[in-house]
Amino acid sequence: MDELLNGYVLQVFVFVCINCILALSVYMTLSTGQLSLGNAGFMSFGAYTSAILTMQAGVPMPISIVIGGLVAAVVGLIIGIPTTRLRGMYLAIATLGFGEVVRVLALNLKITNGALGLSGIPSMTGSLGDIASDLGLLDALEMDTQTAGQLGMCIVLLIIVLVILVFWHRLEQSRIGRAFAAIKADEHAAELSGIHVVYYKMAAFLFSAFFAGLAGALFAHTANFISPTDFSWHKVVDALLYCVFGGSNVMWGSPLGAVILTILPEVLRDLAEYRDIMYGIMLVALMAFRPDGILSYDVMRRLAQRHHRSHGKDGV
Amino acid sequence: MLLELQHIVAGYGNIIALKDISLSVPEGAIVSLIGANGAGKSTTMKSIMGIIKPKEGTVMFQGKSLGHKKSYQVVHEGISLVPEGRQVLQNMSVEDNLYLGAYQRSDRKGIEEDIQKVYKKFPRLLERKTQYSGTLSGGEQQMLAIGRAMMARPKLLLLDEPSMGLAPIVVQEIFDVIQDINKEGTTILLVEQNAKKALQIADYAYVMETGRIVLNGKAADVAANPQVTAAYLGGK
Repeated sequence: MDELLNGYVLQVFVFVCINCILALSVYMTLSTGQLSLGNAGFMSFGAYTSAILTMQAGVPMPISIVIGGLVAAVVGLIIGIPTTRLRGMYLAIATLGFGEVVRVLALNLKITNGALGLSGIPSMTGSLGDIASDLGLLDALEMDTQTAGQLGMCIVLLIIVLVILVFWHRLEQSRIGRAFAAIKADEHAAELSGIHVVYYKMAAFLFSAFFAGLAGALFAHTANFISPTDFSWHKVVDALLYCVFGGSNVMWGSPLGAVILTILPEVLRDLAEYRDIMYGIMLVALMAFRPDGILSYDVMRRLAQRHHRSHGKDGV
Repeated sequence: MLLELQHIVAGYGNIIALKDISLSVPEGAIVSLIGANGAGKSTTMKSIMGIIKPKEGTVMFQGKSLGHKKSYQVVHEGISLVPEGRQVLQNMSVEDNLYLGAYQRSDRKGIEEDIQKVYKKFPRLLERKTQYSGTLSGGEQQMLAIGRAMMARPKLLLLDEPSMGLAPIVVQEIFDVIQDINKEGTTILLVEQNAKKALQIADYAYVMETGRIVLNGKAADVAANPQVTAAYLGGK
């Protein structure tokens, strides 16, 4: 137990959770067939908003994090009006461009402190540790403030990830989810079935922006330091990789991909300079053997059937 | 008149595909629109559904202009299209495809009843209800496309080449169902290249050639027209 609760493992777990949120935000737009690569930009909005609000206006952290997500969603609304009318490659390029615009803005504005970035952002780990010590939990848990804070952070993030998963799972089972799936399968046929395509694409885009902003805000209060390079297009490529690796057609794929691809570089740490090569080889191998990612429609279907059978219902 | 097209001019960019099309579909009838490839039949359908916007002319439905309504709003007005090439959602089950057709309805009970009705009409869809629709045969996909369109409870059903690429026996089955649907009270506008079949079941027919209507009248009269027999029915 002690081995598992060391600072390093907890830190990796925190990044796993944040990457899960980010991957899910990319998956949300993908689930309506939109390849949007603006998530680094939304993340940036969430991170800087929350950081500036806490540092300069003294807004409590939980509120500022939610506001960070909301600001990203409002920006998503403005960007979404023109871009949800685009398709495929054109949408990808437009949103990628948006991400770069945001990065350059952050690089040049005074309030974001340019290339130096913002440091000394209030730490969520720190304040969770303080809460734990105020509650007198430290002795009971036999931990120092730092570890307790990190553990608290892990729990909070895990809850957020689970809430998002439950929320999106329920959404996919609903009428809205059916519309998303139809739009992804064939926009034209969906519209002919009476679905307001632009409206639903916009909804997915807004959810995606909100959760990317939330991931950004959480990242800011975990790393305590943000600079424009944290939100370059690499970030969104990483997030897209999580989705594609885990399986971009099903919801569980993106968190699975995020977990594997965040932990993998840590496991491969011993390989030192060969690490990135191994990482690349794994990606190529997976795409060659399982082009739909680890979890595909068929895998989920088989799992669901097994579940049905083991519960005594008749699976068809 | 349930549907009336008045002097429609429409096309794609600079290409004019419809040059002044007027046609009317009386309530309760089956109207066939026949013509060769490139005559503008599908473009006529797209103009009705609002997929393309006519440059001139109006589409009147139940006495009101459909104006610049979007496709999903046209569906709401009571027109469903079974598109050319079927366009079923391959990665979704047969049943999910049917539910999608009822997307704008909220009467759960009615939807369930209508799904059972579709299964009754097409028992093969019931056998395959959990199967991905992409795994269905061409004929079954056509049945599904028709079932899906019916799920919206349309007043007017547009069918774009339902016989395309199907075996004669399946074509017969599809045409029987189209007649059934019509008897149950849905008006039908049918676009076909299979002129013989289309004229057999229709009350009225329009013949299109390069963006114009060259002939129209009662289906039997159109079928008897020497020009039509020569051009579409294999001549005598």
